[in-house]
Amino acid sequence: MGDIISAENLVIVYRDGTRAVDGISFNVQEGDFFGFLGPNGAGKSTTIKVLTTLLRKTGGKVTVAGFDLDESPGEIRKTIGVLSQETSLDVDLTGRENLRLQGRLQQMHGRELDDRIDELLKLVQLEDVARKPVGRYSGGMRKRLDLASALIHRPKLLFLDEPTTGLDTQSRTAIWEYLEGLNKSEGLTIFLTTQYLEEADRLCHKLSVIDRGKLIASGSPMELKEAVGGDTVTLVLSDSSMKSRAKEILKDVPGVVEVIESDGGVIAYAKNAGQIIAGIVTTLDRSGIQLSFLSVSSPSLDDVFLRETGRRIRSDELSRRETEPFLM
Amino acid sequence: MRLALIYDTMSLLERYFTKLVRNPTLLATNLVTPLLFLVLFSQLLTKFGEFLPATSGGYLAYLAPGVIMLNAMIGAPQGGVSMANDLNSGFLSKMLLTQMSRPAILLGRLVTDMLVVVVQSVITIVLAILLGVQFSTGLPGIFLVLVTVAFFEFALSGIFLTVGIRTRKTETISAISGVLFFPLIFISSAMFPVSFFPSWAQTISSYNPVSYASDVTRDLVGGGLTLSTFVSAYVLIGAIALVTFAITLYQFRKVVS
Repeated sequence: MGDIISAENLVIVYRDGTRAVDGISFNVQEGDFFGFLGPNGAGKSTTIKVLTTLLRKTGGKVTVAGFDLDESPGEIRKTIGVLSQETSLDVDLTGRENLRLQGRLQQMHGRELDDRIDELLKLVQLEDVARKPVGRYSGGMRKRLDLASALIHRPKLLFLDEPTTGLDTQSRTAIWEYLEGLNKSEGLTIFLTTQYLEEADRLCHKLSVIDRGKLIASGSPMELKEAVGGDTVTLVLSDSSMKSRAKEILKDVPGVVEVIESDGGVIAYAKNAGQIIAGIVTTLDRSGIQLSFLSVSSPSLDDVFLRETGRRIRSDELSRRETEPFLM
Repeated sequence: MRLALIYDTMSLLERYFTKLVRNPTLLATNLVTPLLFLVLFSQLLTKFGEFLPATSGGYLAYLAPGVIMLNAMIGAPQGGVSMANDLNSGFLSKMLLTQMSRPAILLGRLVTDMLVVVVQSVITIVLAILLGVQFSTGLPGIFLVLVTVAFFEFALSGIFLTVGIRTRKTETISAISGVLFFPLIFISSAMFPVSFFPSWAQTISSYNPVSYASDVTRDLVGGGLTLSTFVSAYVLIGAIALVTFAITLYQFRKVVS
């Protein structure tokens, strides 16, 4: 299947001179579930605004659904649905009225629109409250209604800007299930941005990791994690000033692929870390380096980010990995 | 394209009127000032009528048209407030992401505000009739009064739409309308005949568009409308409308593109 989005060397510079997006290239194929993973301020929302015709790009060549972004924004708008980060519904109108207004603005009418509204209310499970003003909806219900309104005109491509930020676990899971269903059964292409590792990991077939306006890694979540080079051994030192010494020592431990410094200690990447853990502890102990915490885990997308940038993805309450604290 | 303009404008009218029906306090608040002014001034200043020419029908007859015109000034900031709210909530972006006609966003708001002002004016007129005001020109006169008030509202609304689009702050709009409101209506022929004013106030009043709008409304209610009053009022309001609408359109296009 062909590319539904193709971006070459996309540059977006704000009026104040900030390079929000600094020459990124990527392709999204029809039917893909594609994600942009990155921390706040990485350039994710800005990219979505440009791809959805709301903001002008500064440079590069972008086509969406086969149309040039600068030449045919109107044609692009017919093909895409957009769920923006902030829920934008009219709180005075009921759920049904919101969908009706959105449908009419998408040039739908009559029976076709009514049927589509019923279908979508059923999909997002809001039939019972459809006649209540949206002002009385919970955050999760509003998000679901906003999702329905983005789908009203049967778009081929759906853009989602951090769709689950600020939602409770239950609402988040519900949104995930709708999205997976839409992608699988209806073949809807989805472009999602997120700062949640778990979200990217669970939903996306393909990911680009973005930081400070640049793409730092691309591939499937599996490929990205494999590229980290093995399991992650996180070591927190009693005396963090010993970090660089610990790093030097650990490099020579057989089986260790790479060592990087982190907040309170070091992180070592190793194939089959469980087998060399004893060696790591003994070696450090012999050199007089005390540990206050140690954990072993499979690599996560956060490790991908950490390896490329030296930082972790911030504000990520979902990223608490399944760690298995040993000793101490 | 032209069909979409009408269809989308109608869709937005439906939206705004549903909102109005769900929030009746907004309309009620807007009506407090004209209704209160009409009752208070006419009932408290009864003796003031003695100073007016015998043919004039008393102070109530003088006051009522000015108060009807007030509805235009009270309604004018609504469009700006609504635009600022839609910009802040992301609803405007959401509309821009649809296939809808862009001018309909502006047109839907402008038509809504004019219709709301017409509704407010009709209620004011009913109260005026109940208080005993004679509409000597009958229904055609009342119709022209409503057209005039709606046109004046349209001319003023551009000021607030521009502020709303630029600042995105409803507080700024309230502040500006609050500061403009009292000087504009009291240093004009709206509430009192200018012949009672000191000369400096008469001068200001002669340049104040509110005077022109009040005078034409008064003549439409009481009869005796001269062509020159009508033309000068409509030319002035038209000129204001042209300027404010041009600025609004310029600001709006910056947001839309």
